[in-house]
Amino acid sequence: MKNNNINAGITVFPGSNCDFDVYRVLTDIFNVNASFLWHKDKIKNIKKYDFIVIPGGFSYGDYLRSGALAARSAVMESLKGYADKGGIILGICNGFQILLEAGLLDGVMLPNASLKFECKDVYLNVIKSDTPFTCAARKGSVLKMPIAHHDGNYFATKGIIDGLRRNDRIIFKYCDSKGEFTGDSNPNGSLFNIAGISNKNLNVMGLMPHPERSSEKLLGSGDGGYIFKSIIKYVKER
Amino acid sequence: MRKDKNKDKDKDKDKDENYKLFGLSAGEYKNISKLIGHVPDDFELGIFSAMWSEHCSYKSSKIYLKTLPTEGEKVLIGPGENAGAVDFGNGDVLVFKMESHNHPSFIEPFEGSATGVGGIMRDIFTMGARPVANLNSLRFGSFSEPRTPYYLSEVVKGVGFYGNCMGVPTVGGEVVFDGCYNDNILVNAFTIGIAKKDGIFLSSKCEVGNIVVYVGSSTGMDGIHGATMASEEFDLKKNKRRSTVQVGDPFTEKLLLEACLESMNKKLIVSIQDMGAAGLTSSSFEMADKSGHGMLIDLDTIPLRTPGMTPIEIMLSESQERMLLACDGKNFARLADVFDKWGLNCVKVGEVIEEKAIKFYRNSKFYKSLGVDAVVNGPVYDRPKVKPGYLKKIFSVNMRGYKIPANLNNAAKKIIAHPNIASKRPVFTQYDYTIGTSTVVPPGFSAAVVRVKSGGKTKTGRKCDKGFLLDVNGNSKYTYLNPYIGGALAVVESARNISACGGTPVAVTDCLNFASPEDPEIMWQFSEAVKGIKDAAKKLGTPVISGNVSFYNETSKKEAGKTVISKIYPTPVIGMVGFIDDVSRAATPYFKDAGDGIYLLGRLKGDLGGSLYMECINKDSYQKPADIDLDYEVWLQNCLRSLILGGYIKSAADISEGGIFTALAESSITNPGETLGFDIGLNWDVMDARPDEFLFSEFEQAFVVTVGKGAGGRREAEMDKILIEHKVHMKKLGEVKKGIMKINGIINLKSDKIKEEYYSVIKNILI
Repeated sequence: MKNNNINAGITVFPGSNCDFDVYRVLTDIFNVNASFLWHKDKIKNIKKYDFIVIPGGFSYGDYLRSGALAARSAVMESLKGYADKGGIILGICNGFQILLEAGLLDGVMLPNASLKFECKDVYLNVIKSDTPFTCAARKGSVLKMPIAHHDGNYFATKGIIDGLRRNDRIIFKYCDSKGEFTGDSNPNGSLFNIAGISNKNLNVMGLMPHPERSSEKLLGSGDGGYIFKSIIKYVKER
Repeated sequence: MRKDKNKDKDKDKDKDENYKLFGLSAGEYKNISKLIGHVPDDFELGIFSAMWSEHCSYKSSKIYLKTLPTEGEKVLIGPGENAGAVDFGNGDVLVFKMESHNHPSFIEPFEGSATGVGGIMRDIFTMGARPVANLNSLRFGSFSEPRTPYYLSEVVKGVGFYGNCMGVPTVGGEVVFDGCYNDNILVNAFTIGIAKKDGIFLSSKCEVGNIVVYVGSSTGMDGIHGATMASEEFDLKKNKRRSTVQVGDPFTEKLLLEACLESMNKKLIVSIQDMGAAGLTSSSFEMADKSGHGMLIDLDTIPLRTPGMTPIEIMLSESQERMLLACDGKNFARLADVFDKWGLNCVKVGEVIEEKAIKFYRNSKFYKSLGVDAVVNGPVYDRPKVKPGYLKKIFSVNMRGYKIPANLNNAAKKIIAHPNIASKRPVFTQYDYTIGTSTVVPPGFSAAVVRVKSGGKTKTGRKCDKGFLLDVNGNSKYTYLNPYIGGALAVVESARNISACGGTPVAVTDCLNFASPEDPEIMWQFSEAVKGIKDAAKKLGTPVISGNVSFYNETSKKEAGKTVISKIYPTPVIGMVGFIDDVSRAATPYFKDAGDGIYLLGRLKGDLGGSLYMECINKDSYQKPADIDLDYEVWLQNCLRSLILGGYIKSAADISEGGIFTALAESSITNPGETLGFDIGLNWDVMDARPDEFLFSEFEQAFVVTVGKGAGGRREAEMDKILIEHKVHMKKLGEVKKGIMKINGIINLKSDKIKEEYYSVIKNILI
């Protein structure tokens, strides 16, 4: 299977603003076929998409709560069915928030501990590498990617956190450049330095940092590319 | 009886002097009456007062702005449109402008700065260009002023709030603190966008018979001019709690951006103008004027947020996120479909007519008509100007009166911890600077470097992307001490920052922030600063293609029972754009590897006049800044660029505020990886300058550059050739070291300590 036979869908809500970036990276760098999925549409023939990305942004202006309104849109109805049937969904930043609000992932996002918008490079430790999103990376490797969010402080009840840990559903944790989970390396106050989690079946992942902004060395890091490489590898071998 | 008569007289007088409430002068009022042939009513006064205001008419600055160079090989659109445009090659066009939002930001810093950013982005996408980067120039009161942390924190949040939500990266800017801004903060916002050459839209293309369409947010009571609000026609009780500051909604603007660009792409728009200052008034009159036509405007059709708004309230509202456009009637249904998709108003409000007048309709009846020429051709003043008295007391510095401090380490630490030197990183991290996947050099270094995917190739066949470089710069203290030098230096310094990355300066936009033009001393400062900008822009080949003037940055206040007027220093700010063919060649200012040679490119004057050192250490900041040699500046920058693009040097930092010590220290501690330092060996016996003059003189035409260890033999000969060709000297100062900062006999510091100071100063006052 060639990359250009792989079909990716990218959701677009009013206020999405990383949709073009994801599109450019998928098509320009990874040669994947990508198309936009408009929020008002129920997606017919959703099966044709090998994976779907919910990009970042300020869907519906972050009104009510980040991701709350987008989670109730028509396109998300289609995505729920898609996820139930094992479809691969990656939610980045606001996409992660939408997945939480839609109930496809567990937990909530609080405002950053600093109460400020934080844009900077962070390091991520790959906690679990046998997933569709990390299979091209080594477990324990350290990836550099930027964050850019105001509400990225992951929080969940003890029961949920225990469940995530028990089922190996914490995929990425913030760390320092050596891979250590220090307080200073946690940019937003997330519980247990959590940066990315998945659902039980490992086909839906939410990630706060932006892999699409770190898929080229020219921009300071190519490490985000591992996420897209992993998805492509998984789709090809499926 | 007598009493009553007097009362009547007073009433007449009130009516006669109504114009004052609108901010018009007696002469202007007379002129208006003559132009329209009768005594203007409040509606007419409202329209004229808005269009004849300093902000819209440039009546005090026009004769000076005309002297600026506006044409050049790459200039496609100069001043006059919503923004200027330059040719970026391969059919690409860069559209950019900078604008002030000072007064609203002082009243309401969050909303004021946010709508400043929103307004300038609208100027860019009105032209058909997608905004791709924002910068800003922010000025706050002194660091110890109790309100400064509040203003700084709120303005930064406002700038981030709007830009981040729009998905436009804020890639740089300046943050300056000075007591002269205690009562007048400055917020200047810059946006650059990219368009295709054949996809540029102008406000001057309306054709007779086109329909006039209103798109975007509904019109509300926000932002109506304070002066007009006080007029009789307004119900003060209704208005009094409304803010004269506009409230922004970046979410709506993001939708407006997408809807406008989609409509433009589908060729559904003939001509378009955003509703900025003076809202519907300026957009309708300016579009009509530039197109040489008139318009019918049906006031009943304007979408209102507040029911029952009066005609003049509708015309003067500055509600955000609105546009006026002209479209061919047969395309209206398709246009409406696009705006409906994005959930925005799209309403037919009028028609383009041949007669050069705007004809208003209300309650389905003819309401009023105003001639376009009369309204648009406001007064032009050549205001009196006089050299300020304070300048008589400003001389070149004489260092004989000042001892060399026994411990220069302490002086150095003080300079690095000065809020105008210390890192602004805690500000920049509140802006999304990585969105767009194009920021090659992020904020906090010389200039921002943004790539544009071009699929180009280098001579050797390697794939590469072209890019542009951006910098905003101004130094009001220098401008206060010598307005001509201050104006010139703002241009020169921006160009230096661009050249230090390997870019070629191309064109500029300016924001001229001054106190009242009615004060002859201020007018003199203004004329001198413009002259400085003109001379430097001509010499550097960077025409001024857009910009704005902000006067009246002054506040009267009571101090010890007396009324004093607090005026800002004259603050011309330049926003410059440069080009680079291959962004991977862009240089950064920080040292790369221990062992690299550190060199001085250019020449040192060792003149401390007006420097930060004199202010911080000798508590005397009022001396004449050194002159600038513009010819040499051009050679120097060309030379530096050749060295960078030839791959001869590994880092380049310009010497400006805080002198060579600051340039060396910043180069050491801003490396994103390891903390470096330097060891400089100087023989003081043969130096012309004193140690403090060497370390902290800032009016230098020189750069600190580094050269890799291996660069011997042939490479050295090639470098020499470049230096000779440009008549520029390069002298070895020392070597890059790990962790220490050492200058023979005078400086001995630990880099870690300096780094900690440098990064914590601003962080500690942010709320």
